[in-house]
Amino acid sequence: MALLSDADRVTLTQHLAPIAKKVDLLLFTQTFGATESGLIARQVVDEVASLHEKISVVEKNFVLDTEDKTKYGIDKAPALVVLADGQDTRMRMFGANTGYEFVSLVEAVLLAGTGNLELMPSSLEAIAAVDKPMHIQVFSTPT
Amino acid sequence: MAFANPNITADAVDAQEFMELSRKYRITGVPKTIVNDTIEILGGLPEEDFIDAALQRGATE
Repeated sequence: MALLSDADRVTLTQHLAPIAKKVDLLLFTQTFGATESGLIARQVVDEVASLHEKISVVEKNFVLDTEDKTKYGIDKAPALVVLADGQDTRMRMFGANTGYEFVSLVEAVLLAGTGNLELMPSSLEAIAAVDKPMHIQVFSTPT
Repeated sequence: MAFANPNITADAVDAQEFMELSRKYRITGVPKTIVNDTIEILGGLPEEDFIDAALQRGATE
């Protein structure tokens, strides 16, 4: 059963239309010991990928794909890594991305696919000045 | 921020899914942002305020 209504699909398709870069969503889930959220995460990213031809889902096994786990710093699942034209955007999403987090997913995909940072010039300047590793974790809930 | 600077990684974390992490960072309300395991930002802030808090800058003039 589709997660999105027809009306939502139309709206989201229009919203994501400006995507010009290839967006790969690397989804790390596990088979044994899997939680329900892993199945839901797969459903959610599949729906998003169906909205634009340039969005693809690449399945990764949280247990077996150790090289990619290390490469992208994935320590829990389900996890989503967003790539733009094959390059790591350093945007990660941990959990099923339902509810309000679905909006975050869509916006992350749009950013990766367009490269359009809608931030103030002063913000961009401050961000560019960061010259040491910075790890930001934003905790939220789906509802 | 992560997209704009290769030194920055940004995680969106479902607080209910990862309870151990939520306990570690004392997540009692969302959104709550943790920067480098040390800076805590409660709630959603306007862009400028968020960046100031994350970068621990003084008030923007």
